[in-house]
Amino acid sequence: MDNSAVRTEGLTKVYKDFWRRKSVSALTNLNLNIERGEIFGLLGPNGSGKTTTVKLLLGLLFPTSGKSWLLGHSSIDLIVKSKIGFLPEESYLYKFLNAEEILDFYGKLFDIPKTERRLRIDKLIRNVGLHTYRKRQLSQYSKGMLRRIGLAQAIINDPELVILDEPTSGLDPIASREIKDLILDFKRQGKTVILCSHLLADVQNICDRIAILNKGVLQVMGNVRELLSQKDVIEFVVKNLSDKDVQEVETFIKSRSGNVLSINHHASTLEELFLTIIQQSK
Amino acid sequence: MILTIAGHTFREVIRKKILHVLIGLGILIIAVSPFIPTTDEPDARVKMMLVVFFQVVVLLCIVGIIFLSATSLPHEIEYRTIYGILSKPVSRLKIVAGKITGFALLSALLLIILGLLNVIAIQRIASKLPEGYRGILKARNEFAASQFSIQGKSHHVREGIVWIEGGRSGIALWSFSDLCKKPDDKSSFEVEFDLKIDSGRKDAGAIPLVVGIEDTGTGQCKTVVLSAKIDEPLTVKIDPELVRKSSILNITAFPIHSMDYIGVTGEDAKLYAVRKGFISNYTKAVGITFLKFLLIVTIAVMGSTYLSAPVSIVSALVVFLCGHILDFVKDFSLLIQSYDVHEHALPTALKKPNILLVYIDYLIKKPLEWLTVILPDFKRFDSLKFLLKGINISWETVGVSVGYTALYAGICLFISSILFKKREFF
Ligand SMILES: Nc1ncnc2c1ncn2[C@@H]1O[C@H](COP(=O)(O)OP(=O)(O)OP(=O)(O)O)[C@@H](O)[C@H]1O
Ligand SMILES: [Mg+2]
Repeated sequence: MDNSAVRTEGLTKVYKDFWRRKSVSALTNLNLNIERGEIFGLLGPNGSGKTTTVKLLLGLLFPTSGKSWLLGHSSIDLIVKSKIGFLPEESYLYKFLNAEEILDFYGKLFDIPKTERRLRIDKLIRNVGLHTYRKRQLSQYSKGMLRRIGLAQAIINDPELVILDEPTSGLDPIASREIKDLILDFKRQGKTVILCSHLLADVQNICDRIAILNKGVLQVMGNVRELLSQKDVIEFVVKNLSDKDVQEVETFIKSRSGNVLSINHHASTLEELFLTIIQQSK
Repeated sequence: MILTIAGHTFREVIRKKILHVLIGLGILIIAVSPFIPTTDEPDARVKMMLVVFFQVVVLLCIVGIIFLSATSLPHEIEYRTIYGILSKPVSRLKIVAGKITGFALLSALLLIILGLLNVIAIQRIASKLPEGYRGILKARNEFAASQFSIQGKSHHVREGIVWIEGGRSGIALWSFSDLCKKPDDKSSFEVEFDLKIDSGRKDAGAIPLVVGIEDTGTGQCKTVVLSAKIDEPLTVKIDPELVRKSSILNITAFPIHSMDYIGVTGEDAKLYAVRKGFISNYTKAVGITFLKFLLIVTIAVMGSTYLSAPVSIVSALVVFLCGHILDFVKDFSLLIQSYDVHEHALPTALKKPNILLVYIDYLIKKPLEWLTVILPDFKRFDSLKFLLKGINISWETVGVSVGYTALYAGICLFISSILFKKREFF
C-alpha cells in the first residue's frame, strides 16, 4: 500500500493549441513525494507551473506524460475526491447563491447527510468569519470574503488532503494569519496540506517541506529549515544590552577571527507590525 | 447526486429570472391568441388557440430552453465554476445527466404552467360553442377498415388510388369488423371520409355522394345522400345500436352523377368511436410535447459538452430545424411533381422524369434522408394534428414516443459522457 499522500512520476504537461501544435511546456518531468501529515509548499514565480501541477493532480487536466497518485489512488479515481479539499487559485463560485446555499450545494455533492451538513456549514461560516453575511448573495461579496467561502467549501468534507492554490491572495493580513493558523490546525489533525504560493513569507513559517518550480522545472525540494539556514552564519537576537556591551561583544567576535556582517536591532517583519497596530486599535 | 446538480441548474435559471421572462411571454401570447382574426366557423377560434399554443408558444419555449441548456456547461467551464463540481466525488456522466434533468424539470414546469393556462382559456371559449361544433373537444378512437373492395368496375387506378366514375358503375366498400368488443356505452359513432373528388362538370365545387351503412348480420341498411366538397373531410353519424349489434359493418360510397369521380383507398374511410375526453387528450399532447423538449435538451447538452456556448446553441437549433425540415423537403418534392390537370385523366406515361427533379432528388433529398437516420425526427412529436381533428391520442402513440425519446436520449447521454470524460479544463 502506497503510504504517501501525493506521488508523481515524470509528470509532464505541454499545452497544445487548437491545431495540436506544441505551444507551452508548462511542467517538465516532475517527481514529487509528499508524505501524509505534512505541510508541503509548492513555490515558484508566476507562470512556473504550480497551478498546472494542481490541476493535473485533480484530474482537471490530463498529463502529456507521467502519472500521479493521490492517497494511493489514481488522480481520476472518484473515491479519492471525497477525501480531498481544493481551493482554486481564484474564487470560482456561483454568484447567485448565498454563503449557506453554496456550502449546502457542495455538501450535497459530498453526500453529507442533512443534519450533519447543517452543523458543519454553521461551524464553517463562523470559522471563516462570515456569519453576519451568511444570507447575502455572493455577487455582493468582496474578493476576500469570496476567498473565505472558497476555503470553507474546500474543507466541508473534512478532507485528508487539502490543496490550496494561493489561499492568501486577496486576503487582509489578519485573514492571512488566520489561514496560517488554520493550516497549522490541519496539521495537528493529521491532514496533509499542499500550499501553492509565490509569497515566501506565507510559506516560510508553516511548511515542513517545500519545492520550488521555475518554468515548469523542479529547482529544489527539501526541508524548509535546512534550505533556509546558512550553516556559516549565526544570528544573535538580544534584548536589553547597552551600546558599550555591544561593542565588547563585537571586539570579542573579531578577536576570534569572526567576520561581523551587521549589527542590527531586530526588526519585526512588516506583517507583525501591521498586525500589532491593527490589534491595538481594536 | 444527479438531482443535486439538477436542482442547482434549476435554481440558477429561476434566480436569473429567465424562466419568468419565458412564462411572461407565453402568457402574453396565450392571452392574445383568442383575438387573432380567424374564419367565421365557430370552432375556428379554439383551433387557432391550439395552433398558437402548440406552434408558437411551444416554439418560443423550445428556443429558450435550447439557449439555456446549450450554454449551461460552457458557461460553467468558461467561468471555471465547474472546478467546484469536478473536484467533488461526482462522475462526469452524472454532471451531464444532472444538467439534462435540470432542464427537463424546467421544461416540465414551463409546460405545466402555460399548458394549464391555455386549457383554461380554451375551456372558457369552447363552453360558448354551438352543439354541432363541439367536435374539436372530443377524443375519437379510430378504427381502420379491415377490408376494402370495389363492387362493379373502377374507372382506372393510379398511384394506388382507385378512381370511380359516378352513376353506379362502381361502388367503394369498406368493411369494419371486430367492432363490438371495443366500444363502450358512452361512445357515439361516426364515419369520416377523406376522398379525392374530381368532376367533369364545370364549376363543380361539390358533388352529390350516396353513402350506405349496412349491418351484415341483420342486413339492415341505411342510405344517405351527401354533398361532398373538394378538400374537405365528410362526416356521417351512425346509430350506436347498429355498431353494437353488428359484427361486421359495411360502408359504401359512390357519386350520383356520371360526370363525377371519386378517388379512394382503403384508408379513406375511417370509423370513429366518439367520446368526451378533451382534457385527457390535451394532457397527452402536452406530455408528448414534453418529450420533444427532453430530446432537444439532451441534444443541446450533448453538444455543449464539447462545443463552446454559441456553437452549441447554433448546432442544437440546426438539429431542431432539420428534424422538421425533412418533412418540408418531402412536401416540396411532391409539390413540384404534381400536375395541374384532372388527376383521373392523367395517363401514367405522361410522368417522365425531369432532369432537374433528379438533381434535386440527389442533391437535397437524398442527403437529408440520410440525415434523418441520424437526426431526431421531431415530427413524431406532433400531437397538434390529433387535437385539431379531435382524435384520441392512443396510449400506443404515447408509448412509442416515450420509447423513441428514451432510446435517442440514452444514446445522446452515452455520447456526451464519452465526450465529457475526454475533456480537459484549463
Ligand atoms: N490553458 C493554457 N494554455 C496554454 N498555456 C497555458 C495555459 N494555462 C497555463 N499556461 C502556461 O503554463 C505555464 C504555467 O502556468 P501556471 O498557471 O501553472 O502557473 P502558476 O505557477 O500557477 O502561476 P501563477 O503564480 O501566476 O498562478 C505558464 O507559462 C502559462 O502561460
Ligand atoms: Mg497559479
